[in-house]
Order: sequence, then C-alpha cells, then structure tokens
Amino acid sequence: MTTVSMTVNGEKVSREVEDNIFLAYYLREALGLTGTHVGCDTTQCGCCVVHMNGTSVKSCTVLAAQAEGATVTTIEGLAKDGQLHPLQRTFHECHALQCGFCTPGMIMAGVDLINTYPGILDENVVRHEMEGNLCRCTGYHNIVKAILKAAAEMRPASVGDAAE
Amino acid sequence: MPSLRYERAFKAIGRPLARKEDGRLITGKGRFTDDFTLPGQTWAAMVRSPYPHARILGIDPSAAVEMPGVLGVYTGADCIADDLKDIPHNPVPSTQFDVKLRGRGNTPVFIGTHMLLPADKARYVGEAIAMVVAETRQQAYSAAEMVAVDYEELPWVADTIKATAPDAPRVWDELPDNVLVDSKFGDAPATDAAFARAAHVVTATYCIGRVTGVPLEPRAALGSYDASTGRYTLYAGSGGAIRQKREIAEVLNLDLEQVRVLSFDVGGNFGTRNRTYVEFGLVLWASRKLNRPVKFRAERTECFLTDYQGRDLVSEVSLAIDASGKFLALRASNLSNVGARCVSLSPLSKGSGLITGNYDIPLATLHARAVYSNTMCTQAYRSSGRPEVTFAIERLIDKAARQCGFDRFELRRRNLIGVKQMPYTNPTGSIYDSGEYENNMDRLLRLADFAGVENRREETRRRGKLFGLGFANYVESSTGSPKERADLIVRPEGVEVVIGTQPAGQGHETSFAQVTADLLGLPFEKVTITLGDTDIVTAGGGTHSGRSMRHASTVIALGAEDLIAKATRLAAHLFDVSVDQVVFDEGIFSAQGTNRTIDWFELAAKASSSGLPEFANGLWVRRDNEMHRQVFPNGACMCEVEIDPETGGIEIKRYATVDDVGRCINPLIVHGQTHGGIAQGVGRALWEACVIDPDSGQPLAGSLMDYGMPRFDNMPSFKTEIAEVLSPTNPFGVKAGGEGGTTPAPALIMSAIDDALASIGDPIEIPMPATPVKIWTAIQKIRAKRSAA
Amino acid sequence: MYPTTYRRPRTLAEAKAMFADAENASFLSGGHTLLPALKLRLASPSDLIDLGAIPELRGIKVEGRSVVIGAMTVHAEVADSPLVRQHIPALAGLAGSIGDRHVRHRGTMGGSVSNNDPAADYPSGVLGLGATVVTDKRRILADDFFTDLYQTAREPGEILTRIEFPIPDTAGYAKFVSPASRFSIAGVFVSRTGKAVRVAVTGAGSGGVFRATDFEKALAADFRVEALANCTIDPGNMMGDQNGTPEYRANLVLVMARRAVQNMGAITVCK
Repeated sequence: MTTVSMTVNGEKVSREVEDNIFLAYYLREALGLTGTHVGCDTTQCGCCVVHMNGTSVKSCTVLAAQAEGATVTTIEGLAKDGQLHPLQRTFHECHALQCGFCTPGMIMAGVDLINTYPGILDENVVRHEMEGNLCRCTGYHNIVKAILKAAAEMRPASVGDAAE
Repeated sequence: MPSLRYERAFKAIGRPLARKEDGRLITGKGRFTDDFTLPGQTWAAMVRSPYPHARILGIDPSAAVEMPGVLGVYTGADCIADDLKDIPHNPVPSTQFDVKLRGRGNTPVFIGTHMLLPADKARYVGEAIAMVVAETRQQAYSAAEMVAVDYEELPWVADTIKATAPDAPRVWDELPDNVLVDSKFGDAPATDAAFARAAHVVTATYCIGRVTGVPLEPRAALGSYDASTGRYTLYAGSGGAIRQKREIAEVLNLDLEQVRVLSFDVGGNFGTRNRTYVEFGLVLWASRKLNRPVKFRAERTECFLTDYQGRDLVSEVSLAIDASGKFLALRASNLSNVGARCVSLSPLSKGSGLITGNYDIPLATLHARAVYSNTMCTQAYRSSGRPEVTFAIERLIDKAARQCGFDRFELRRRNLIGVKQMPYTNPTGSIYDSGEYENNMDRLLRLADFAGVENRREETRRRGKLFGLGFANYVESSTGSPKERADLIVRPEGVEVVIGTQPAGQGHETSFAQVTADLLGLPFEKVTITLGDTDIVTAGGGTHSGRSMRHASTVIALGAEDLIAKATRLAAHLFDVSVDQVVFDEGIFSAQGTNRTIDWFELAAKASSSGLPEFANGLWVRRDNEMHRQVFPNGACMCEVEIDPETGGIEIKRYATVDDVGRCINPLIVHGQTHGGIAQGVGRALWEACVIDPDSGQPLAGSLMDYGMPRFDNMPSFKTEIAEVLSPTNPFGVKAGGEGGTTPAPALIMSAIDDALASIGDPIEIPMPATPVKIWTAIQKIRAKRSAA
Repeated sequence: MYPTTYRRPRTLAEAKAMFADAENASFLSGGHTLLPALKLRLASPSDLIDLGAIPELRGIKVEGRSVVIGAMTVHAEVADSPLVRQHIPALAGLAGSIGDRHVRHRGTMGGSVSNNDPAADYPSGVLGLGATVVTDKRRILADDFFTDLYQTAREPGEILTRIEFPIPDTAGYAKFVSPASRFSIAGVFVSRTGKAVRVAVTGAGSGGVFRATDFEKALAADFRVEALANCTIDPGNMMGDQNGTPEYRANLVLVMARRAVQNMGAITVCK
C-alpha cells in the first residue's frame, strides 16, 4: 500500500492505494470518476486516455503510484465553468459518438492532438495520429469531422482539408 | 393500420437533430454497468475450461477457498442442487415469416441445455465451469487460478465442415451426429429442370468465417439480492432488459415481480448482448447465497473467448443462367456453425430468406443445415445471416460475369427485381415490401463517380499499384421480436414515453422523441424517452434485427392516436362541449367556434382533478402492438481499393453507398449507423477472424494484438446517401437503417480485390480475412500460373 | 495483476540497492511493455522499481560524433527532438512510429531495448546504427547486446543508463506493420557511414533482430536500390505466424530494405 497524492481536475486528492492499481481504476473506483473507461487488456483501445502532466496517456497502463505528484485531467474536468470544450461540442454537433463508451478517451485524445500537434492538421494527419483509439460504432468518419471542426476553431491557422 | 394524418406538420421527423443522449456521454456521466457500485459489493471470477471438449470429473476448491478474501466457490453441481433451470434461449426463430428450420427428418431442433454452470462437460475453450466470489476482483481472479479441476480430455471438432462428418466427435451425446438442423426448401424438380436447360451454370463455395462483435464495453453484471424484499436487482447492459428479466427469473425459479433488470448505457451491442450470459444469472444467484451484491466484469480476453460470436457460414451456391444472361434458378446449401450450444438460429434462418438477393430468380432450392462444434456459441451479429448470403449471391454473380463473358453491372441490371414487381415473393417465401433497386444502382454510380473510374485506374497503375473496383447490391430483412409496448405519459413539464427497446448507441432517446413530438404537435425538447429499467418498462422486444424504429414508431403512433382521443375527451369535459366539437391541431385542443384552447401540459395539470375516472392517474395511455410482417432495406455500394503488389498491403480509397431505409427519421443518426455498419463489414473482409488452431482446438485470437480491427487509419471517409422508398407495412413506412452498411460490405471488398487481381491474371478467390500476406501469396500464385501458361 | 510493491528510487544507487533487497524485482521504465505483461498475469515480480525519478537517465545531447539518449527518454521526446531530427532523422522517425501517440508519451527507449521484443522497432535502430548500450556497469556494443528473442546481454539488476548512437552520413527505416498488433512484420534500418553500411532487420527473424550481411556487402559496394536485386533472404530463418509466412517475411525484408534505401533520411511506414 502506498499513499498517492495528485491533482485531479484541479483538486488535490490523496488516497492510500494498492501498489498494483492502475490509474484508470484509481480514478473510477477510489475517486468515483467513472467517465474514464477500460475497454481492453492490451493497451490498444484508448478508452482510458486521460491527460497527465499536459500530455495524453493510457491510464490503464500507468500505475496510480506512478502518478504521484502529477496533474491529471479526465473527461469530467474538461468543461470549464459549465462551458463545454469545443471538442465536446463538435462531437455532439457532428454525431461523433453512438454508444459513448470510447468517447471520453476519444475526446481526451483529440484535445491532446489539437493542443500539441506541431504541423497542419488535416484528415490524413488526424487519421494517423488517432491510431491509438478504437471505436466500434461510428466507423470514424464523424470523429474525424468533429476533430477538424474543433481544430478549425481552436487553431485556425494550421488546419487543412476535412472529410466531407 | 393507422394513417399518418400529420405528415404536413412534421417538424422534427426527417431532420438531422443532434442527440439528447450526448450530454452525459461527452462529459463522462454515462451509466454503463461497471459504473455502478453497491455497498458491500463482492466480485466474481470464472474458472474456465482450457480444453475444447472435456468431461468434468471433479472440481476441488480447497486451495481456492483458503486464499485471501474468498467467500465461496460454486460449481455446476451446486446449480443442480439448487434446482436451477437452463437458460431458455428459445433459439428457433418463430415469427410468422421466419423460415421454418427443423431437424433431420422434420423433427424438432435439438437444442440441448445451457445451465449457468455445466456439471457434465465443458464444450468449448473458455466455458465457465465454476465461479469464485471474493472481496476484491483481483482476489477472485487469483483464487480462480487455484481451483483444481480434474478434466478428462475428449476428442473435439471445431471446423464447420468437419463437424458434420458422421464420425466427428459428438458435442451432444443425445444427437447421433452434430447436425441439429437439416431442412430443405424450394421446388427441387422445377429447379433441376431449369438447371438442365441452362446455357450456363456457375458454382462456388464460400466460407464467411467467424468473427466477434468486440463492443468496446466488456460485458459486466452486478447482481444484488435484498433479503428484506426478496427482490433481485441486476445491472447488466444487454439487448433487452425485459427478455433478460424473463429468462433469468425462469433460470432461478423466481416470479417475474421478484426480478428487476437495469440496462442503461450499453457500450455497443451489435448482437453480442442479445442473449443472456451465464454470468448474469450467476451473480444474482451468488448474491442470494452470500447476501451481498456480486459483480462480474469480463477481461477483454474473456470477451474474445466467450462473447457470443457471429457469422461462420459455408455456402455452396449454383446459378443457372440462360444464353442472354437471365437468371433461371439458384441452388444453395448453407451450413451454419452454431458452436457448442444452440443460442440462436437467427443467422441461418434470416439468411435462408434472402438467398436470391435483389434478383428475380423464379426458382431456388435451399438446403439449410446447422451444426454443433466445440467452439464458442454463435448467434446474431450485425445483420444476422444477411452479409453471408449477400456475399454468396453477389460473389457468384461476379464469377458468372467473368466465367460467361458478361459485364457484371449489366448482368445485375438485367435481373434486378423491378419496381412494378413489388411486393415480390422470392422462392424461399420472403415478401419484399418495396424497393427501387435499379434506381439505387443509378444513384450509386453517380455518387461514386463511376465515370471517373478509368482515369483513377490508369493513374493508380502508373504508380505501380493495383486498382480494384468493387460493386454490390443488397437486400436485407428486418424482423425482430413482434411485440412492443409504449406508455405515453403527459405531465405538466413534458411528455415521457416509456418503451421496451434497448439502444446501445442508436439514439432512441432522440429519434423516438422526434416521432412523438410530431405526432403530438410538441417541441422535440419536451419529450423524454425512458428505457432500460424493468420496474418502469413493463414490456418490450429489445433492440436487434433493425426492429426498433419500425416497432417503436408504430406503437407510438397507435398510442398517440389513443392519447389524442383520450385528451380530446378530457378537453371536451373541461370545455363543457361534446367530444365532436373539440379540434386537435399541432398540439392544441380547441373548442370549435370559440377561442377556447388548451395544450397538453395544461390538460395534464388538470387531469387527475377532473373527476373523470379515466384520468384518476393522470393523462397517459399504454399501447401494445404486434407486427410480424418483415421489411426489406436495400441498396447498392461501390468501393475502390489500391493494392501494393510488393507487400499485399491494401488501402480503401473510396467507399460510396445508397441505402433505402424507408422513411428516415433522423439522417444524422442513420448515416452514423451506415458508417459503423460499413466498418464492421469491412472488418470481416480484411482483418477480423476468430481463428482456431487446427491441431489443438485453441482459439488464437485472444486479444486486440491478434484480432485486427477497423481503425482511423485503415478506414476511408464515406459518401453515403439515403433513399426513402416507404414500406407499406407500417404507418411511417420505416424499414431499418442499422444494418445496411454491413450487409454488402464483405462482398464489396472481395469484389474489389478480385478486380484488382484480374489486372495481373486470373483472379484467385482469397478466403477472408484478406490480410496482406494472403493477398501477396495470391499475387505470387497468379503470376506463377501466368508465367507457366 | 498480481500484488507487488512499488518503489521509486531517486538515484541509481538507491535503485540498485532496492533491487538487491528485493526477492524478485523488475525495473519499471515507461511500463508499456512490462505492465501489459503483468496485466495478463504472465509474471509476478515482488517489487517494481520505477526508474522514472532518476534525473541522469533522461535527456538527449550530442557528445562528440554521437547522439546520446538517456534510457528513460520517452519516444515522443526522441521523435520531436531537434537534435535527433537534425543528426539522425531516421531515428526520430522510428521513435515517432512506435505504437500510438499516447504510448509514445510514456514508453521509453531503455524499456523497449531491454525487452527486445522481436517485433519492436528500436532494436533495429540500435543495431542498424551500431550504437553502444551503456549500463550502470559497462558499455555493450549493439552487435553483442541482442542475444535471442526477448533476451539481451543485460544481467539481472543491471540498469541501462543511456544509448550512444554514432551519427551516420545517412540512415533510413522502412517497416511493414501487422494490421492487428501494429508491430512490425518486417522493419529494416539502413545506415551508411563512409564506406560502411549496416542493415538491421526486426520483426522477421526467428532469432530476433539481425544484421542482413549480404545486403550490407551489396550496398557497401554500390549504395543503390538496384544493388539489392540479387540479394535474397532465406525463409528458413524467418518467423511464421498469423501475420505472415516465412516466405512472405523474406519478401517483405527485401521490399523494406529497398524502400529504406529509396527514402534515406526518413521513416517509411507501410500497411
């Protein structure tokens, strides 16, 4: 057992945890933040993506103990003062979700992409960079649209062609 | 059938409204089964057979019970001791228009039992034969590893065709062999005569192998017994909470009122959750024994091994064609591998009704068989049975075109069922309701820019790649459980519709609200849809087979008629006029010839105080409906692929579809269904396969490391168009939009690969999935054959 | 995952002491090869010693004629590093092609190299550049480091601290990935420094990463794609599995070698 302290969605939290608990389950079970989901056991599906110290990580493959002292943002912490993040809004507008299970990880991945990708974001880049997130419902078409639409709002100077 | 009086007032129907359910799902406030936690909760883990077929000689839990946190170990013997019944899957489809499948010699189909835990044998790798319950999930899984099982390994068979051999190892001792369904349909003498006089006969055997649904939410169940009330509560995402409740109550010998099933947000279904899983009954049963809630959540590996799987059909087909290219007759022999237990014969049955596809083939015979094998059970999966038979007819037509020297588009056009022939009865008895098949083709060719194909082919060739053009038509059927119920409840703050469908992403909270809003003349925002809690939802058919919109819109339309009539009576009472002096228009009731009006919400506020007995409980109606008639969504699609001949790598460059869904309530949602459906069909063609090692009987696809999936970077963007040819079978003319994307996709992709290979020689049929190694290997063979010639 | 004890040393010395103290410890770097294995209950270390807080294990710099990368440097940092992009762009490209962006934010060079997964990318970069693996005890040449499938010359308790990559005149990496796992079915790293050519192949060999010495000779004599025309790979030395027959892998090795040579200074990912 280890006491782990971190900042989650702006709030300092400290809990005693089993050493072998993954961050995803720490968030879901110790903190009750069930928005982050776990969909596989081989670090592939991306449903568990959160932001840790400013970049996206697969929280199913990070021990809670490894997040000691870290700043973590989950899907629950994305909207600010009741205002949806542009990507949350465009997911809604573009019908980029169906069952919603992959959606939290998908949105967190997309936000990281929009925030950090150094070049021009176009359909090819989005499809390539989002390789680490699976969706079984949408066929990806609308998710690409939603990411490019939010990117066009957030970083208009470096967005290329969107899917139709 | 009620007529639609209010079509002119459609404000919401047909519009691409963004979904009501999104709010909670994009902010992490979804309610998936694993999100629920109950005080005192314990965890279950299953002990699973490592063998494809083994007698259970003994189970020794002694090491497991000593492990930390362990509360109990349960076996099949315990199930028998508690007189638990087996799961009543009711696998033989029995709506009026379902093709009637029978055992050999016209006997009832032998179904076998499906106890929560078997006491006799394990019949497939991964079958749960014991359950451990412990304080934590890790403790339960660790203890499950320590349960010592004495197995007697038995001979096994996994291969679909090998399983039919008379001397194949028997999965069920009660059956003389593994063939549980053996039915023949059609006019054999007339069909034989047509074949005898045909100018051309084209024959092929196709294997549409097994896949698994991979919904991203692993299956989970939380069961809780309350001693003070004697009630059992189950949180479990499924394809129909009502059905699950009924089946589990029967398994556990409970009255229906004792069981409550809660299925809120479901992380993808596609058919995998349409039937009860043993763990759902087991956690409830264990909860009773321990007087504590018990939770189960499958690992992804467990999902790969033991989610109900899909497809696995071998189809031998022959087409008789006259000299001018007219189709004369079809013979089909379809063999479905149901796995070790018969959970649903829907794929074989649904496919049987569609073997002739979109084509006017007057004569056909079908030999339909189902076989047991030592593999995981199969059942319906996205367009149950239809992609398989669509594959067979569309690929056979491509082969016929090549073999007999016809153009593949012209050969199809020549034989399409015409608009004037609708409704059309095909040789297996399916009555196609409506469709404009040639129009679909024409629209599709424009959408896909068929005119530009040769330029793109040439440009691709110059870059050293192989260009392949794929084409397929499809017609598929939507049946589903025939009964549905809707409660329409008007309250001062809004209208609530309680209905028994079970979405897993199809947007029912939105599209049903659109229907209700327009029927009642209300703003869309004022309607909420309630699903998934069997204490509130008293009846319903769940969601599968594309049934939901058709059944829901119909029962809501019928209920709306009843509700308007009822509200009219209330308005008349409140206005103190006779009923025939009340006019209802666009949500407002008025007394004719006066300026007195009242709306739904004011009526609701005044209902229970009106003094009229029929409004004692407020302003609401309950309506049931039963419909058996099938509808037939249909369409056409085209794709372009590019193959790298040096590596066998394949890229889909373009993909276009035209889909006749009947009336389209929400095009945003329907396009989304098409996109996702396409991906699942493409996955079957290119990457997905539940492979079994032929020497050991072990499944080899146990994780996403082995099981290829559609991804952002291997799927193209789509051009999808919706055609609305109304169905005459229901008030809104709805067909279905959920499965048309999948139905032709495997045929389409293989058709494109075929076309690409034809550019270097005589194409070889590649068994799906057409992975790069298989494409490359085929290219080597084609080239070698060409050099030798 | 089985129970374990998590430890987080601040220095190398502390890490070594913890290892010595433990019953059966594993070092934890990015965790993106080790933790997935532990999740599947394939191993049960008594202790996980997280190297993430030891400062001297991170960082990228140029020392003499080498790019030196700390063992705990994450793939994203290597991929985005101006130094690596300037001096060995194929190595930056290789790093940027590993897994997906989330994995690249955590996975480390040291972890990947120590694991020596037969389908991982870094082994072919390390071997293809003739790098030197530096541990807390010694310096090991790449040619001596990768010994067998999932095996390296690293001894239990030995900690990789950095890898020194001699800067080549030019280098290229081309790979073909499995549709499912996205690991390489064949990845070929080619480097040329003066007259010396190295060609290292991952994903394909039945013994793990290897140098294709015939290719090296041919290219050393004539550094053009055409020089590979008469080179062959023996399918007998190739892995066979769901992703590819030995004949297919042998073919892919040749094709990827050609593509690497055609695209020197870059990464070429084929699917």
